[in-house]
Formats: sequence, C-alpha cells, structure tokens
Amino acid sequence: MIVFDSIFKSFGQNRVLDGVSITVNTGEITFIIGKSGAGKSVLVKHLVGLVRQDSGRIFFEGKDITDYQEQDFYDLRLQCAMVFQHSTLFDSMSLLENVALPIRKHRGLSRTDSLDAAREKLRLVHLEHLSDRYPAEVGDGLRKRVAIARALALSPKYLVFDEPTTGLDPVNAVRVDRLIRELKDETGVTSIVVSHDLRSIFGIADRIVMLYQGKVLKDGSPEQFRETHDPIVAQFVGGHAEGPMEL
Amino acid sequence: MLRFIYSEFRGTLEVLRLTLYYCVRAPWPMREIGQQLYEVGNRSVFFILVTMGFLGAILNFQTGFQAQRLFGDTSLLGAATLPILVRQLGPTLCGLMVAIRVGTGIAAEIGSMQVTEQVDALRMCRAQPVDYLVKPRFIACTLMVPVLWVIGTASAYVCGMYVTYASFHTNPNTYVNFDMTKSGDLIEGGLKAVVFGMVIPVIAGHSGLSARGGSEGVGAATTQAVVNASLAVIALDLLIGGAAFALKISLGTGP
Repeated sequence: MIVFDSIFKSFGQNRVLDGVSITVNTGEITFIIGKSGAGKSVLVKHLVGLVRQDSGRIFFEGKDITDYQEQDFYDLRLQCAMVFQHSTLFDSMSLLENVALPIRKHRGLSRTDSLDAAREKLRLVHLEHLSDRYPAEVGDGLRKRVAIARALALSPKYLVFDEPTTGLDPVNAVRVDRLIRELKDETGVTSIVVSHDLRSIFGIADRIVMLYQGKVLKDGSPEQFRETHDPIVAQFVGGHAEGPMEL
Repeated sequence: MLRFIYSEFRGTLEVLRLTLYYCVRAPWPMREIGQQLYEVGNRSVFFILVTMGFLGAILNFQTGFQAQRLFGDTSLLGAATLPILVRQLGPTLCGLMVAIRVGTGIAAEIGSMQVTEQVDALRMCRAQPVDYLVKPRFIACTLMVPVLWVIGTASAYVCGMYVTYASFHTNPNTYVNFDMTKSGDLIEGGLKAVVFGMVIPVIAGHSGLSARGGSEGVGAATTQAVVNASLAVIALDLLIGGAAFALKISLGTGP
C-alpha cells in the first residue's frame, strides 16, 4: 500500500499540489486523472524520489520515505518502476540494451547476463524480434511497449505509468491498456496510471482519483465517476468543452 | 543576481565533486569515452586548425608591422610570439573554441535529455546522471584539450611563419627560433589546457542538467553554458597566469 499524506508542492509562486492525500491499494489499477497541469505527474514522481515535496509525508508499504536521500531510493526503485510519458528510451542504445540497463545497474550483472534477462522481458511485450533495432527505427507504440518492458525488467511490485497512451493511435493505445490489465491479472502488479484518456480510464481502472486545483476532487470507482453529480467531474468525464471547470 | 551567481557556482562545484568522485570510484565506460574522444578531439581539429591559423597570421602580421615600423627588423618575430602562443593565446583560445563547439553540444544534449525526462529515466535505472553523462565528456575533454592546444599552437605558429615570410620577407629559418620559449611556458600552457578541459564539460553538464521546460529551456541552458564556460576560461587564464608569474618571480627565474 502507498499513502500520500497532505502533499504540498510549489514551483516558484505556482502551487501545484495543495495538500493531496491519496491511498493506493495493493493489487489495484488506480488512475490519477485531471486536466493538464493539475499536478498528476508531479504527484507520482514524489513516490520514486524524482520530485521532492515541500511538506507532507509519503509511506511506501508502511515505511516513511519522506526523508529518503537519492541512494535510499535505489532499493525502492527496484520495487516501483516508472514508465514515462515520452517513453524516454536512450537513442544510443538498441531496444535490448535499453531494457538491459536497469538490470545491469540494479542487479550488478555482467553485460551478457543482463542482455539475456532483457531478452526475456522483451518477450513479455512480444517484441523480442525487434531487440537489435534502435529507438529511432520504431514507432511510438513500440517504443512505449519497450519502455514498459524496461520498467518490468526488475520485476517490480508497483508500476507508475505517466500518460501511457498519449500520442498513440487507438490500436496501440488499446494494446498498452491490455498490457497494463494483463500485468495486474497475471503478475499482481499494482499500477498507478496518470492519464486523461477517458477510454483507458473507463476501460481498465479499478479506482479513479481526480485532482483539481491541487486537491483531490473525487476518489471512487469508475461507476461512481460515471454517476457523479459533481458538475466539474461530470464535465471532465463527459469530455464537455463548456462547464464550470476552470482552464 | 548575486543569488543566481551563487547558485550557479555552487551547482557547478557539486557537479565537479560528483564527477571527480565517479572518476575515482566507478568504472570507466571505455566505449562511451572513445566516442567522446572522437567528438571532442577529431571533430574539433579542423575548427581549431583554421581559427588558430588565422589568429597566428593576424598576430604575426600586426606584431611584425609594429616591429618593422619601430625597429625596422622582424627577425625575432618567431622567437617573440612563440611563448605568447604557448602559454597564453594557445590554451585560452583553444579553451574558448572548445567551450563554443563542445560545451554547447554537451549542454544541448544533456539539456534535451533533462527536459524529455531521459535523465529521470537514468535515475530510475540506478545510473547517476553525472556518472553516466558528464564523466565520459569530462575525461575526453581533459585528455583532448591539451592535444588541441598543441595542434592549435603549431597551426598558429606555422601560419604566422608564412605571413611573416610573405609580408616582411623574414626567412623561415630565422623565424623558427625557440630561444625565448622556456620549459615554464610549456608547463603553464599545458596546465591551462588541462584545467580548461576539466572545467568546460562540468559547466556545460551543470547547465544541461539544470534545463527546465521545453526547447526554450534547452536554448537557455546552451547559452548559459557557453557564457559560463567562456567566463571560466578567461578567469582561470588570469588566475593560473598570475600564479605562474608570481611563482617565477619568487623562484628568481624572471617573467
């Protein structure tokens, strides 16, 4: 279980998170939703130490990680991997080498052993036949799947996805959604997904948390979101341009 | 403004500390270092040859013109300009050229990785960005800037020789004269080249890692890198030159 307790974060004069408290239950797919700039990505990056909060506490499986230093996060990142919005594959490495990097660094394996292990992970996302290609030689959808394979490289218990379907065509987006669902069903991975893709949200979410103006506006199941009477939530999930939501 | 300068200085020192730490404590990625040696060294040679060649030509023409006017003699031109090239203009201008050509490249590359979250992805892979990105460039620049200093100085001297011959009819055998160049000049010039080679990638790396936002942030980081690295080269030139001068005076070997 992961607990964000009253997280405050500002960048200069801009307060992005204004006392956000969320609990992520083990084994669930939790979607963090909200309009662009709502602080969704900033919030989840706190969990793996890529952004540090101004105040508030974070608990990871009961352990208070609020005051962790960079080195302390190394072990946590073994258990909690992240798939970034832009895939973030390293251009100078082949797809296989990209997946092998965290294995080599975290597990201290030799180059050959890490490449063998990486090949297995590429097989999980059905891309082993492209292992020698470079990121520039494949499309966005494939890059995203390789990024997921890299996140899976260390067999984490938790996966954080930052807008995994943004920029993908509908077919590839569905494939990524299916992969997230398969990971939960087959390996029991807990997923936190930052998204504003309504099709994904109502397709695979177990639970949805909506951020608005730096606070949690609504926390509930997809059904509760569909039947909501809150005008801001209704505008967002209905995808309406007109409504009370401030731009 | 002072706060900004202080934070830049402190950030750069932190990157330098981490770079030195990883140079000693972590394995050297030889393939990456090889690529960077090629990038910093081979790909800068033409630029350095041309710019330093022009500089040597201008220096000898202007100095020879004044010498001709004042003394009517340019026979000591080669002997007089060589120590200036070796200890002063050679390392400093090579340093500035590397700051422009290589420093901007480092800042732009690392800055792009920073704003597209690749640096965050490295941290998630347990790869320290300074170890992974700055260290190979630091090693390559530290090794290659002295090499470029030698090549650049030779280019300036040879081009100066040609201009002196063409303009003042000074015989090349007379021009090539090492009598006024001391070992101290070589040590001072070499030391400056090594120090500039260490400082440029650290400053550029820090600028890249500090990039925020999108392409605008990368542009700002690149500009910041070239400004800071150029200022550092000039300031360190004065510091090292001043220290070398004071040392020569205290040892009684003269300026």
